[in-house]
Amino acid sequence: MRKFVFNLRLFFESARLSYIALFRWLRPGTYAASKIIMPLADIMFFTFIGIYANGVEAAPFYVIGNAMHLAAINGIYGVTMSVGGDRWEGTLPYLFGVPGSRLFTFLGRAFFHLLDGSLNVIIGLLLGWLIWQLDFSQANLLLLGAAIATATIATCGMGLALGALGLVTVNIMFINNLFFFLLLIFAGANVPIEQFPNWMQTISQFIPLTRSIAAARLIINGAHLADVQSMLLVELLIGAAYALLGFIIFRTFEYQARLRGTLEAI
Amino acid sequence: MNALVISDLRRVYRAHTGVIKRKVKEVVAVDGISFEVGEGELFGMLGPNGAGKTTTVKMLTTLLIPTGGRASVLGYDIVKDESKVREHIGFIFGGERGLYWRLSGYDNLRYFASLYRVDPAVSKTRIPYLLDLVGLSGRGDEKVEGYSRGMKQRLHVARTLLHNPDVLFLDEPTIGLDPVGARELRQVVRNLQAENKTILLTTHYMFEADALCDRIAVIDKGKIVALDTPAGLKKHVQDLSVIEIEVFGLRSEALEKIRTESYVDTVSLENRDQRQALMIHSPRGAEAVPDIMAQLDGHRVGRVSVREPTLEDAYIRLVGGTHE
Ligand SMILES: Nc1ncnc2c1ncn2[C@@H]1O[C@H](COP(=O)(O)OP(=O)(O)OP(=O)(O)O)[C@@H](O)[C@H]1O
Ligand SMILES: [Mg+2]
Repeated sequence: MRKFVFNLRLFFESARLSYIALFRWLRPGTYAASKIIMPLADIMFFTFIGIYANGVEAAPFYVIGNAMHLAAINGIYGVTMSVGGDRWEGTLPYLFGVPGSRLFTFLGRAFFHLLDGSLNVIIGLLLGWLIWQLDFSQANLLLLGAAIATATIATCGMGLALGALGLVTVNIMFINNLFFFLLLIFAGANVPIEQFPNWMQTISQFIPLTRSIAAARLIINGAHLADVQSMLLVELLIGAAYALLGFIIFRTFEYQARLRGTLEAI
Repeated sequence: MNALVISDLRRVYRAHTGVIKRKVKEVVAVDGISFEVGEGELFGMLGPNGAGKTTTVKMLTTLLIPTGGRASVLGYDIVKDESKVREHIGFIFGGERGLYWRLSGYDNLRYFASLYRVDPAVSKTRIPYLLDLVGLSGRGDEKVEGYSRGMKQRLHVARTLLHNPDVLFLDEPTIGLDPVGARELRQVVRNLQAENKTILLTTHYMFEADALCDRIAVIDKGKIVALDTPAGLKKHVQDLSVIEIEVFGLRSEALEKIRTESYVDTVSLENRDQRQALMIHSPRGAEAVPDIMAQLDGHRVGRVSVREPTLEDAYIRLVGGTHE
């Protein structure tokens, strides 16, 4: 019990401090601006192309898809920086030399990105409402919140895997960009999944966002819990699987580094 | 019970060289060392660059798995009981890296306190106490980024004391500190020793090792070449007592004569304006002074001193000859 309390504290300290460390260099103003400008640029770009191709009545499809995909900014880039950053700080020997739980340290690094990532999505949807009058009148907002939470949890799970990979590989920026766009394309933010060739649809089934984007579109159209619960549940499981994979990579890295003497290698 | 028991510890690194034709080169960093450190002892490790000191410390702090041999800390095996070992040790690798630069000093300590499972109630009083101990009180809420190198190192000292460990590994803790800062840190180390902590210290500063350590192991090329108290090590160079004589206008015949005396080991001369400083290594020490003075008859002689060989003289004799 006592141990659990310590672990919980470690989880929240990891969360708090990795988040401060990541965002300290941003002034509140800069942070706020980045929180509006990035979603705005992203959503406007894809929605205008979509409207140009399919007419203005297609706007909700693009707004919702791209707003949900904004979770990946935190999930992919943010979490990766919070997990892989220790390598650049030279803190790994000190981090691995402590008795504290690796799992809670590791998971804690992702925690605030869940909140920040959800905020991205909400801002994205609000922009859609402001610019294209996205209609929320049919939506069960609580359920929509659940879909947003699912999207951020799942992308953060993937981010944990990539972050752990960042401890191993030099080229993490390339991998991050690759996965960010992989999600953009394969999760169906801008093209209905059914129009993909089969092999692409298969990939779509195994990544975050595919189901939460689809669920969000249904929810805004008035769907109920029963219509989307299994989609959300499966996506949560996918996120957990990625997080678990990340943790395995993390522990493997730790052991290999101790074995080969590469803890400080950059 | 001994706090540290190290037997036949060995570590080989495999280094890859070459980009296209990759070759594996083996570096034996620690080549079968054995020693024991008693509880409350301050044990020093001296040795030239690349001797294997840091590698030894890394193995003892569970950060590196040995290639051979075994070691235990407070009875816990460094490989099998790694988490037990980690609970009871603190360590510093000299230098300024290894802190979260974007966080304040206080937040760094707070984070490590939770990593070391320190009770929040305890860390609330312990963090300010430690900041004060290392002379950083009042600067704790600034970002580490803006700390000087010495301040970062002192923060490392505070970090490693958060969980009040019984055994401390300090790898070159005073490297790059200013003289006053280094002296303060030595005082901190002395105080820790007074609290009966076991400390393993590596340093390149001989006087530091001499002043602090109960016993010293001199290692070279991964092997222990001497292990003794500072006084014991100095015995290795007992035959090298140093006589320093200040002379004015030394004539070369006199110098040659001194050089050929049987009790003189080596003579070196250093010109300082019109004076010369004559440094003579002699096994006879102070007893040789009257004879030398006789040789210098007719010269104006200034200060004369005989000093004990320092640890540095002993160290250079132990490892100096082995350098290519
Ligand atoms: N991670 C590593 N990979 C490969 N070789 C290493 C690694 N770390 C150390 N070595 C080699 O092992 C040997 C011992 O290094 P070590 O750092 O233990 O020396 P040291 O006694 O601490 O030296 P210094 O006084 O310079 O700190 C050196 O030859 C070094 O090149
Ligand atoms: Mg070293």
